Amino acid sequence: MAALLQKLDLWERTLCALAFSVLAIVLIADVLLREISGNGLPWVQQSGIYANVVVALFGLGLATSAGSHLRPRFADHWLPLAWQPMLQRIGYAVTGFFLLLFAVFALQFSLQTRALDEVATVLRIPLWPMQLLIVIAFASAALRSFIYCLQPQLGPESD
Amino acid sequence: MALPGLLLLLLSLLVLRQSILVMLIAALTYAYLVWGDSAPQFMVLDAWDALNREVLLSIPLYLLAGNLMSKGSMAARITVLMQSFTATVPGGLALSAVLACALFAAMTGSSTVTLLAVGTVLYPALLAAGYDRRLSIGVLCAGGTLGIIIPPSIPLILYGVMTNTSIIDLFYAGLGPALLLIGLFAAYVLWRCRHMPAQQREMSRRQALRHSFGALLAPLLVLGGIYSGYFTATEAAAVAVAYTLLLQVGIYREMGWQDVGEVLVDTSRLIGGLFPVLMLAVCLNMFLTYQQLPEQWVSSALSVVDSRGSFLLASNLLLLATGSLVDIGSAILILAPLLHPLAEQLQINPVHFGIMMIVNLEIGYMTPPMGLNLIVAMGAFRVGFAEVVRAALPFIGLMLLGLVIVAQLPVLTLFLL
Repeated sequence: MAALLQKLDLWERTLCALAFSVLAIVLIADVLLREISGNGLPWVQQSGIYANVVVALFGLGLATSAGSHLRPRFADHWLPLAWQPMLQRIGYAVTGFFLLLFAVFALQFSLQTRALDEVATVLRIPLWPMQLLIVIAFASAALRSFIYCLQPQLGPESD
Repeated sequence: MALPGLLLLLLSLLVLRQSILVMLIAALTYAYLVWGDSAPQFMVLDAWDALNREVLLSIPLYLLAGNLMSKGSMAARITVLMQSFTATVPGGLALSAVLACALFAAMTGSSTVTLLAVGTVLYPALLAAGYDRRLSIGVLCAGGTLGIIIPPSIPLILYGVMTNTSIIDLFYAGLGPALLLIGLFAAYVLWRCRHMPAQQREMSRRQALRHSFGALLAPLLVLGGIYSGYFTATEAAAVAVAYTLLLQVGIYREMGWQDVGEVLVDTSRLIGGLFPVLMLAVCLNMFLTYQQLPEQWVSSALSVVDSRGSFLLASNLLLLATGSLVDIGSAILILAPLLHPLAEQLQINPVHFGIMMIVNLEIGYMTPPMGLNLIVAMGAFRVGFAEVVRAALPFIGLMLLGLVIVAQLPVLTLFLL
């Protein structure tokens, strides 16, 4: 389990770093080109958006593994401290369930987009593979949560 | 029966320590199943549209620039510069803390980064110079919050995205309230420290300017570019990243490409926490619009809160309570679309309302039990929570005074528009 989590982490860190580099490079290049030649690149904004989608979605897995999701904490001590280990495991299972549910909704949606042959407006590439990233990202975050439920010691320290 | 069911579901998730993301998925699924006239997978259509927007590109780039700036010596250079201008005034070191926080906040756009970066340099210096410990903690905590209101600010961008308000207008409008808060903090520390002896400068002003010139150019480039209309918010963010990389890797040589890679991953983690919530908050907003709930909410709210004054009072109390319990990002994503139509109905300028909302939520960084700057200060300065809260109290009072002025004087916000 720990090895699987490590591989998942490495894969998502690499993807995020690459996509973030693309995002920064294309937008900086666009500004520079506009300064030099007076014209930007027409495909830059759309490429930047897709790179940002990759960062946002695979960053979700990184946020899950770091336990850094935005979370209201004021109710953390409403229930007895002795219950916390059990509540933590239930919490991980509930997180995994809802993330997986969203991944299923996203899969149904991207299959519909595929059936309709929808393409991106500027880049003219099929939309469904990009939308499939939502499925992969949410399913990966759900998998992490289920693993933490089975083995809480593998979960993030901040939880 | 349906609404209590939703509340019970959310309460259960809260007790189970679920994230805002999970709560939004659960609430949306419930809402689609109970009130919706389409299948829940259609929420993904809105989620995709939310992500597929050019305006969002500035957020990761500003976060990246801020994280790059927080490494290395940029904060220390800015601090030395401010000290060189204020050291000869009684209380000058505390004043330099306010000014260094303001300037560094303008560069990074982050409250906690500012508190940590400037605090690490100035807190030991303040104590060594004999400044009161409580005042030192308070001024650094309060100065750190300025990152929220001084452009470029991520909360201002989030408000703009959620309410379709011009982000450039919000950046212009944030300047007046930011200067007001800086003025209030500065006046207070100078009055509190009026009997402190003046100090020697570490460097002459000329030397300090030369030492910090590169760092100083970063906010001038970004804000100058935006305010002159030369750059859009996204272009300015790209320029900020390029310039910071040039400075940190090429000129100061305080970072290698491996460090840049680590910063990219750290920033991706932040974005991975924020963007999925943003995406689902947009879904919730769209669902409410399909169901015509904002119109119903506005008409029923107007029957209770029917004047500008009572709305401002009620919304400010709601925001203060929310800001002390949840983080600013979640508060904006959920409350902005609900309060914005009501404000418009009462003829309150959306830019003015947005700035008031951000100034209000800025106070949440300083209020117990969940004030983020209080928690960060506990760790950074190794003091107890009660001590940090006591240190923050006078500054919370000043911020409340600032909020009242901002709410009552729209011209302070709108004079540049």
